[in-house]
Amino acid sequence: MSAITLRSVVKRYGSVEVVHGIDLDVEEGEFVVLLGPSGCGKTTTLRMVAGLEDVSDGELSIAGRRVNEVAPKDRGVAMVFQNYALYPHMSVRQNMEFALRPLGLDAAEVDRRIQEAAGILGLGELLARKPAQLSGGQRQRVAMGRAMVRTPDVFLFDEPLSNLDAKLRTQVRLEIGKLHNRLGTTVLYVTHDQVEAMTLADKIVVMQNGHIEQVGTPEQVYAHPNNMFVASFIGSPSMNMIPARHEGGRLRAEGLDLAVPSRFEGKLPEGQDVVIGIRPTGLQRAEPGAADAVVARVEVTEFLGNEALLDIRVGDHELIAEIPAAGRPAPGDEVSLTFDPSVIHLFDPQTGATLSR
Amino acid sequence: MIFLLPAMLVLFLTTIYPMLYAGYLSFRSYDLAKPFVPRVFVGWSNYQQVLTSGDFLNALSITFQLMVITLSIQLVVGVGLALLVTQRLPGMGIARTLLLIPMMISPVIVGLVWLFLYFPELGYLNYFLSFVGLDPIPWITSPNWALWAIAIADIWQWTPFIMMGTAAALTSLSPEPYEAARIDGNTRWQVFRHVTLPQLKPVLVSLVFLRAIDAFKIYDIIFVLTKGGPGDSTEVLSLYIYRQSFTFWQMGVGAAASFVSLIIIVVLITLFFKSLNRDQTA
Ligand SMILES: Nc1ncnc2c1ncn2[C@@H]1O[C@H](COP(=O)(O)OP(=O)(O)OP(=O)(O)O)[C@@H](O)[C@H]1O
Ligand SMILES: [Mg+2]
Repeated sequence: MSAITLRSVVKRYGSVEVVHGIDLDVEEGEFVVLLGPSGCGKTTTLRMVAGLEDVSDGELSIAGRRVNEVAPKDRGVAMVFQNYALYPHMSVRQNMEFALRPLGLDAAEVDRRIQEAAGILGLGELLARKPAQLSGGQRQRVAMGRAMVRTPDVFLFDEPLSNLDAKLRTQVRLEIGKLHNRLGTTVLYVTHDQVEAMTLADKIVVMQNGHIEQVGTPEQVYAHPNNMFVASFIGSPSMNMIPARHEGGRLRAEGLDLAVPSRFEGKLPEGQDVVIGIRPTGLQRAEPGAADAVVARVEVTEFLGNEALLDIRVGDHELIAEIPAAGRPAPGDEVSLTFDPSVIHLFDPQTGATLSR
Repeated sequence: MIFLLPAMLVLFLTTIYPMLYAGYLSFRSYDLAKPFVPRVFVGWSNYQQVLTSGDFLNALSITFQLMVITLSIQLVVGVGLALLVTQRLPGMGIARTLLLIPMMISPVIVGLVWLFLYFPELGYLNYFLSFVGLDPIPWITSPNWALWAIAIADIWQWTPFIMMGTAAALTSLSPEPYEAARIDGNTRWQVFRHVTLPQLKPVLVSLVFLRAIDAFKIYDIIFVLTKGGPGDSTEVLSLYIYRQSFTFWQMGVGAAASFVSLIIIVVLITLFFKSLNRDQTA
């Protein structure tokens, strides 16, 4: 039985539809991340699950029970907000106590749960402090503690790390991961940061404009994107996209002439327009004159430590290649690069859908 | 410096000089009815007369009674109305504006409006009461009712003030803690009591404080409605002072009474800020 199920769920604000009939299954204990650009409807979807927004159409179930009309408090969920949403005038302990109040537990049990959460999250010394006396990372941990003490069936997170600086974000991200491993509670987590999604998720749900573009494990969405949107949204730097045409077993574009990878043989009609997708890591240096190599001029190199990014120009396309930093070419140099055929993606230029399956 | 001179001159003429003159008068015997009798120095005798006079103590007690009645009702009703008009319901914007109107009317006019409502025999209020089969109430003619009649008019005028300040504070509270409480399942009352009220407290304290100072000086409404009567049942401090000065023409005694009330109000303010600071450091 799924922990959360969405069937053709629609959200309208007045006459504006912002979530267009999405279907999603979140399994028990799974860490599912809703990922997508700003305004794609992630928060709206999460808030519908929480019960803070009404579902305009479709069916939403939690633990096998339809909850469209169920009050937020009766859904067995706890939510961690982007700006923490702590009660400003209450101490850390009081914040947790207030969240526990509706459960009507006895004082000893309340104390036990608070101590346990404080132990796990390292809040022991902070219990008497007010939110204003805490750092951003500590506030975020308190917000998690407040959700945790209620032992919900489902945790909902809305961009919990976006108010933290880069270093703290990595640290709290790890803590969230550990927390999930330890508690094994189902998590629905919203972010627009693909690194967060990749590192935390069992399953990533890529959204755009109120639609789900793809659902899959981090490996699946990275290695087998369904369409050009997912392909270019996941991965940094973005996947290179080159419009080309299939002619006589070759993929041709200006300045480019590649053999069709064997996977696609027999699947591509002659004369079909395609978009070639290749990640920067799929472009590697080759000896001058190697088969199917493209020769290009380096415009900029960016040194990243172990790797370097080359901005190169092929025909009238700007591509990015990621190569080992040692012996990298200088701007203005000519380089030969080969496309690794095993990681070439082909997309339909009209629909954006992958041609890989 | 030279530019400050006009402002300082105005301040001196309108505020400081009258106060000094009142201070001077409070130690003199000055009978308005006998303008040519010299205003001899009488020491503390005016103050003594004020502090030992049953009329003064009665006025003080009535002032505080009126203050307690009006402030407590204004606070409760004002906060209630604020909670109502800040809901996202249709018509709340208009309701909010309409509710502010009493506050913008001059207290004398408020007094007159309520005089029409309360007027014995002819008043609208008793006319309406007769419709629902109730006996007429001697609003401003009975010592049992007069203070309440004044309180009602004052509450009608100043509840919007509390409402406005509270509504402004309410809309500035961040909504997420309320959503968190909704998910957690805290009841509306718990949320109001433990989330809203503590955050409103500083604002409410200031609003009540401002109202308290005003209530201490209440004059216009009472002057129009009852002139302190029947008997002395609604004679508040400012009316007492007025009566000493301009009915009995005892300017010295009136001035002394003003100073006594000034001292009371200063002491109250000081105590208030002390307790506020204690609250904050605690
Ligand atoms: N109360 C509302 N009334 C009308 N439209 C709304 C409302 N709330 C959100 N929207 C619209 O719904 C769409 C989805 O919003 P949502 O907040 O879910 O985006 P998001 O994916 O969470 O984006 P972000 O990453 O910026 O938080 C947006 O186009 C937004 O303008
Ligand atoms: Mg959002």
